[in-house]
Amino acid sequence: MAILRRIKSRLKDLVTTKKKRARSTRKTKLEMKKEEKLTSTQMEKTEKTIGLQETSVEKTKFYTGEIPKVAPRTMPQELPERYGEDKMVAQTRDPWWIHVYWEIKDSTLQRLKKELKDDFYKAKRILRVYDISNIIFDGTNAHRFFDIHINDYANNWYIDTAGPGRSWCVDWGLLLSDGRFITVVRSNPVFTPLEGPSWITDEEWMVPEEIFARLYGMGFGLGRSSPVGKAWQERIRRELFSGILASPGITSVSSPVKIKERKFWLVVNTELIVYGATEPDATVYVQGRKIQLRPDGTFSLRFALPDGKQVIPVRGVSADKLEERTITPIVTKETK
Amino acid sequence: MNKGYLCLVLHSHLPYVRHPEYEDFLEEDWFYEAVTETYIPVILVIERWLRDKVNFRLTMSLSPTLISMLEDPLLQERYLKHINKLIELAHKEVERTRWQPEFQNLATMYLARFYEARNTFERYNRNLVIAFKNFQDLGKLEIITCAATHGYLPLMEIIKPSIRAQVKVAVNHYEKTFGRKPKGIWLPECGFSPGYDEILKEVGLKYFFVDAHGVLHATPRPKYGVFAPVYCKSGVACFGRDLESSKAVWSSIEGYPGDYYYREFYRDIGFDLDYEYIRSYIHPDGIRINTGIKYYRITGPTDYKEPYIPHLAQEKAAEHAGNFMFNRQRQIEYLFDFMHKKPIIVSPYDAELFGHWWYEGPLWLDFLIRKIVFDQNIIRLITPSEYLAENPRNQVVTPSLSSWGWKGYNEMWLQGANDWIYRHLHKASERMTELAKEFSNTNGLLRRALNQALRELLLAQSSDWAFIMGTGTHYHYAVKRTKEHLLRFMRLYEDIKANCIDENWLAEIEYKDNLFPDIDYRVHQ
Repeated sequence: MAILRRIKSRLKDLVTTKKKRARSTRKTKLEMKKEEKLTSTQMEKTEKTIGLQETSVEKTKFYTGEIPKVAPRTMPQELPERYGEDKMVAQTRDPWWIHVYWEIKDSTLQRLKKELKDDFYKAKRILRVYDISNIIFDGTNAHRFFDIHINDYANNWYIDTAGPGRSWCVDWGLLLSDGRFITVVRSNPVFTPLEGPSWITDEEWMVPEEIFARLYGMGFGLGRSSPVGKAWQERIRRELFSGILASPGITSVSSPVKIKERKFWLVVNTELIVYGATEPDATVYVQGRKIQLRPDGTFSLRFALPDGKQVIPVRGVSADKLEERTITPIVTKETK
Repeated sequence: MNKGYLCLVLHSHLPYVRHPEYEDFLEEDWFYEAVTETYIPVILVIERWLRDKVNFRLTMSLSPTLISMLEDPLLQERYLKHINKLIELAHKEVERTRWQPEFQNLATMYLARFYEARNTFERYNRNLVIAFKNFQDLGKLEIITCAATHGYLPLMEIIKPSIRAQVKVAVNHYEKTFGRKPKGIWLPECGFSPGYDEILKEVGLKYFFVDAHGVLHATPRPKYGVFAPVYCKSGVACFGRDLESSKAVWSSIEGYPGDYYYREFYRDIGFDLDYEYIRSYIHPDGIRINTGIKYYRITGPTDYKEPYIPHLAQEKAAEHAGNFMFNRQRQIEYLFDFMHKKPIIVSPYDAELFGHWWYEGPLWLDFLIRKIVFDQNIIRLITPSEYLAENPRNQVVTPSLSSWGWKGYNEMWLQGANDWIYRHLHKASERMTELAKEFSNTNGLLRRALNQALRELLLAQSSDWAFIMGTGTHYHYAVKRTKEHLLRFMRLYEDIKANCIDENWLAEIEYKDNLFPDIDYRVHQ
């Protein structure tokens, strides 16, 4: 117990130093140093920039409105894998599942290694999930907890709490061979919503069970029969969780491409191009309709060609209307 | 005397997609298509109601990102270019289909509609927001707001300052756009978690919507199910979606849009026609895309499709409107006897479903509203604020965490394909809070940088990116957008902390991510 307390207080120290450090620009420098993707020249440049930045941070105290001239920094190309902090965040996915992500500083792990020596390596990496419904959790008063063994490399996890309508808190920690558990990071509290109607009723707005059941079923669009029994509950669950009525979101505008079942197919269409040329100032009619000539007197028309016979009289009339000529292609298309 | 109410809600939203750095950008087409196929047709329907003195009521949310796009001169210019191209293509089609009257009729129809779209667009001086504003000022349309960039709020539980910023930026933007305060809000994806109502109250919002189970699973039990609104403890009202009426329109299996006479979405000439011919109307890289000209009807569950016949589709839309009204009447009569109170049926839909996906949707809406207004007196159309004014006494409950997304909770936005983003989004949000705290009074370049930092953070938070990562189409674009805005934010953060803001670069991203010109970073707290 004493050791545990000591470790805890160490951890606390760690957290405080971390906070302190976060405020200094040195951390930025350390972080930037870790940036592996920087080439050595880029690195030098960054170092130089940071040196200047430190000075300029100092300067802000005496800032009078003049902008210090600093070489522009290069735009980072990738998001950092880590932010250099001990942190764990829990979020609700649905009435049963929660998701946690976390990050632990190398220095925290180093310290634990020093403290625990061999035990550190033998210890199991554990997610401890506490049921903290309706209490102010102090680390010891959870209603119950369960453990999930994880590997060294995971940095997030989906947890089946199997408990809708409850509150949870998750620790990432080390389970030592003697059964002691050392919390390294703790998540925020998170709650899972109810998967069905509340049992709590309101005196002033009392509603008989039978009537509520009908309203409940109707609310889910299940018609007016009085719903009872397991089959009915299953139906609601199916309805609710199937996604049939889910908003299509952006897919309703993003022109989704229909997924084709694997089926061979072939489509053949035909088009006909009618083209020609005449005097640029002449007038040309195709099937009786006047068409637009290009400036050089050429023209070209494109038609979808269905089965059957097409008679296409092309009539040209000279600008002075004294001359006229008609050519009539006849095209027959059949499909076999 | 009516026996109940119907509250129709159209939720309109598009993520902010605007790429001045490219001549042509594939994802910008979402916007152009929605303008031609949804926003303009809906405006035209509303104009006709006004002309015919139809006493309608409709509630519409316009997301701040959508409003910003509709008001953006560059996108307006590009839309005009887009619609002109379509008009040119439709002209060619009328010629090309000369020997196929069944298609030529359709080409002529599209040509007329494209001209009509262009005229409407120009009639409102290219700014369609003015149309909606006018309709609201006439007292028939209730426009509500949405979160600034449609951020999915339940996954901001640990970064409440971002929820506040999403809501406050939206409300300020609304006020500036419409000259009044919004009464209600459409929470993105209906994502609600207990306590968020407090933030809505802070900015004076009176109501929001949740999916059915948000109300049905509230504590304590809601006496009237989803058929009456409830109040949260903060006094903000919450309306629950009715799933029976939703199913009639939404469901791909039972819903109206799947009718065999309706237009088939997937047969577009952008894919069907000869490559050389269509080449200059598809993506400049040669990728075939939808043009909006579609000649076939759904026909049946086969690959074989019959030509679309507009007047038959129109009859179907009228029939479906009648069916929808009949079912609501029966639903309301039944509930009225049962509840001893006039029920309210809340039917919200994604606006972009109407016209774009369900081509006949605006027509259906037109028939439905006219029938309800002129042909019967069981149902009365109502807006949420009107309902609350007439029915101020409602039960106080705590609605449940819920969304209207896939599986009803957060999984659509929190799954293997997208869960990696939250580590970064949360960190960026914490840093934004830190900046807002550290720099409470600023001006000049520093202030510009801080405001831009908030813009970048908000843009990274759009629920659409996580959604797209979860569905697969346009995956890379969604990843790119998330990273791009986060990286811009991070650089701003570091530059601000180090007091070495690069003005040229700042100006460049201010030009690229130019929405919310009046944003104030101090709302992020």
